[in-house]
Amino acid sequence: MKRVMGLAVALGLLASGPAGAADTIKIGLMAPMTGSWASEGQEMKRNVDLLAEQANAKGGLNGKKIEVVIEDDGGDPRTASLAAQRLTTKGVVAVIGTYGSAVTEATQNIYDEAGITQIANGSTAVRLTEKGLKHFFRTCPRDDEQGKVGAATIQKMGAKRIALLHDSSAYAKGLADEINTILKANKQNVVFFDALTPKEQDYSAILTKLKAANPDVVFFTGYYPEAGLLLKQKKQMGWNVPFMGGDAINNPDLVKIAGKDAAAGFQFLSPPVPKDLDTPEAKAYVVAYKQKYGESPASIYGVLAGDGFLSVTKAIAETKSTDADKIRDYLVNKMKDFPGLTGKLAFNAKGDRVGELYRVYKVDKNGEFVLQPK
Amino acid sequence: MNGRLVVAILAAVALLAAAPFALDAYWLDVLNSVGLYALLALSLNVILGDAGLFNMGQAAFYAVGAYTTAILSTQLHLPVLWTMPLAGLAAALFAAVVARPVIHLRGDYLLIVTIGMGEIVRIALVNDVFGLTGGANGIFGIPRPVVFGYKIRKPAEFFYLIWAFVLLTVFLFDRLEQSRFGRALTYLREDPVAAEGSGINTVRYKLAAFVLGAAWAGMTGTLYAAKMTIISPESFSFWESVVLFLIVILGGAGSIPGVILGAVLVVALPEAFRGFATARMAVFGLVMMVMMIFRTQGLLPLRRPRFRERDLARAEVTRAEVPRAEAAK
Amino acid sequence: MEQFLQQLINGLAVGGIYALIALGYTMVYGVLKLINFAHGDLFTYGGYLGLTLLTSFALQGHLGTFGAIAILTAMVMGLVGIMGVVLERAAYRPLRESPRLSAVVSALGASIFLQNTLMLIYGARFQVYPEGLLPQVAVSLFGLQVPLIRILVVLASVVMMTALYLFVQKTKVGTAVRAAAIDQGAARLMGIDVNKVVSLVFLIGPALGGAAGLLVGLYYGQVNFTMGWIYGMKAFTAAILGGIGNIPGAMVGGLLLGVIEALGAAYISIAWKDAIAFCVLILILIVRPTGLLGERVAEKV
Repeated sequence: MKRVMGLAVALGLLASGPAGAADTIKIGLMAPMTGSWASEGQEMKRNVDLLAEQANAKGGLNGKKIEVVIEDDGGDPRTASLAAQRLTTKGVVAVIGTYGSAVTEATQNIYDEAGITQIANGSTAVRLTEKGLKHFFRTCPRDDEQGKVGAATIQKMGAKRIALLHDSSAYAKGLADEINTILKANKQNVVFFDALTPKEQDYSAILTKLKAANPDVVFFTGYYPEAGLLLKQKKQMGWNVPFMGGDAINNPDLVKIAGKDAAAGFQFLSPPVPKDLDTPEAKAYVVAYKQKYGESPASIYGVLAGDGFLSVTKAIAETKSTDADKIRDYLVNKMKDFPGLTGKLAFNAKGDRVGELYRVYKVDKNGEFVLQPK
Repeated sequence: MNGRLVVAILAAVALLAAAPFALDAYWLDVLNSVGLYALLALSLNVILGDAGLFNMGQAAFYAVGAYTTAILSTQLHLPVLWTMPLAGLAAALFAAVVARPVIHLRGDYLLIVTIGMGEIVRIALVNDVFGLTGGANGIFGIPRPVVFGYKIRKPAEFFYLIWAFVLLTVFLFDRLEQSRFGRALTYLREDPVAAEGSGINTVRYKLAAFVLGAAWAGMTGTLYAAKMTIISPESFSFWESVVLFLIVILGGAGSIPGVILGAVLVVALPEAFRGFATARMAVFGLVMMVMMIFRTQGLLPLRRPRFRERDLARAEVTRAEVPRAEAAK
Repeated sequence: MEQFLQQLINGLAVGGIYALIALGYTMVYGVLKLINFAHGDLFTYGGYLGLTLLTSFALQGHLGTFGAIAILTAMVMGLVGIMGVVLERAAYRPLRESPRLSAVVSALGASIFLQNTLMLIYGARFQVYPEGLLPQVAVSLFGLQVPLIRILVVLASVVMMTALYLFVQKTKVGTAVRAAAIDQGAARLMGIDVNKVVSLVFLIGPALGGAAGLLVGLYYGQVNFTMGWIYGMKAFTAAILGGIGNIPGAMVGGLLLGVIEALGAAYISIAWKDAIAFCVLILILIVRPTGLLGERVAEKV
């Protein structure tokens, strides 16, 4: 009896299904609002909300108002799959999201089977677009592209002994593997390849081991908190070998954690942030963002979510339809050089973003991120 | 056979059969999640609730099962449902090997060891041990289960598969509790010294509890892998083990209905309150502390058999019959 | 050889922090036979409170570095100590007579509650200590450049441990603590107010943990709300390694664990470092459950 009651409780928790208003277009946003990547999710929301607001102020999309429907994916595949299921029952025509390749991967099939276009903003694993999913796109570049640029930059520096450090996460290890493969193919000398444990404080043991391997450059493919600590502790040790990083390091907190002294001279790869773009759209966007939220956009992935939103709304506007096949046709075949927040937007048949996005940034002695010339 | 259990199961079957017609894909998926957690919690219940062994590393057995299925189905192309008993076996063997040296440890120490063991398994998975586990990426492309030629893909289809297994598990574990094995576990949980003195080989029974709980968790891993089609180490973290531990304790250790209610609450409530996510964990912690103070035994605790009037009357009748039987010889 | 010595020193410095936290675990376990899961989170509160006090009172401007640090340490220790006492009263005292499992669950609940409340108050991002607080001096030791602060951390741990040890062994109150650790009932019969003793233990233990948190914030410059879990686990391993309930044991265990980790990272693999620490824990529990310096109370394990 009690068990039956328990089941009744569960069913009784049914919320009534969504009743979509007939005159809005619903765009879904699946983002990590809780969990370890909550700060990325917040950025994603900010960007998409602002863009939706701007679009609605200009009359909306195909005569209807845009409504952004957010679901939290918790930064975890299981929560994400539930979030995806929930979004499919809410009448969204497309979904932007998400951050984290494994999380995105858990939801790909769900959206595909429901015939909903998905544009990911922070999922760089190569295999996501190798599955032949027709309605999956991403505005972020792939790990193999970053790997290519990373390896090229390292070789351009003239480094003879190269150390690669990651943090065992899917993204960081993937990137490190890509760089490693290319360097080895070019007969470069990789003297160190290992991982640190994220969320720890003390990296002296790792730095000591790195130092003993005597590299000319250390490329760390992990995230900014650990990068900041590495830079700080490396300086405390008095070790001056240059460090480089991937795009997960692109966050102003890096300088806060490392300190301006330690961070100066550090280089990393990233798609250009809006303030470094020359297009009037990007500049105007930064101003509008600052006006609404009081600070510049802090995360490149949040901005890429904005680009995803712009892409899909453009497709809907141009095809005057919300049908996923028509959206795909537009995005792959007809959209070329559409000005976005991170550069020109265009997609190839696999759903990947076309174009060489990655640039090199250097931290100057004031802690500012300065875009290096190509 | 317990009449109430039969009624409960029949009612449950009716409700469950009707559910896919009443609920949309999202809520069905929530119930699928409830079902998986219920299975895991039931498996931990054997170890923690019935045998009284503090185990906070159940996620490790779950992982062994899930990864076994993933590896066998993607590398050797075995049909997924066939890998289920193999996953259970792998988890059981793993438990047997790992638990044997530590089974004699006192409660708190066993707790810490199981935590350590869970973490070691997770780290090994992340570091791609033996080159099999795919590291932090995990394993993807796990095929869907096929039942008599019918491929199971939608949440509604998984619903039937998972909940059929849940009902089977409830039935089997209830029988187990009533059996000699179950009574031995209860005995050694309540008073290990007396149990040993009565001739129960406590080490063997404790190990058996571990192995059984692990096997069931392993088989649940198969269902999880088949449902998600990708698995990665982050689904098998320490936090998962903590959640399972809590479901068992807060639901009522040793009590099957309590454990299932616990699973329902722990999974369904956060989904119903998706808006309050950030404070959810803090409230969870508070609830734990408060529950321990005010209702230590859990929400639906194990009910001890009570002797009532009619049992006394029956005993009297039997006693009166004995001399008659003797005289008839 | 140079790498070995350098890693040894690295390990000792990290181990010093583990030791400080382990002292708190071991004291509480000795008296209550309870693993206080929330201890790691009290350590984290130490780190955060230090930051808040530092920035809100702008101490370094007023007193000069060492004066500021001394006052800051005292304040943090006091605050976290009080938190410990309150925690005991609220979460553990009502469960004194209940089965062991309830106290464990309550401790876990307290840990989750404290960690998430901290996140709600301070936000999910890392918090950073102001720069330039500690002098960045390095001394030459065995031909290696060792930052002075690392040596000070180890020294601070040793000093606090010695003070604690003397307190427990030589003073009347300390003897009461030891008595309560051996047998609460008998201690009560001897006229010892066990409740007061327990409160005292929960004042001192968490205070030391809080001091460790402040040290971590000052030295590494950064605190995050999940650090209680990692440091707590390591410190608990250290306490068991040395012998739980044993104060010098916590010290030895902490330093030893730090060194094992550093050498394991250097010579085996960094990625498996934590797994190595857990293996050590499991091995000790199987082979020598009383720890290196032996458990204080003889009991069937």
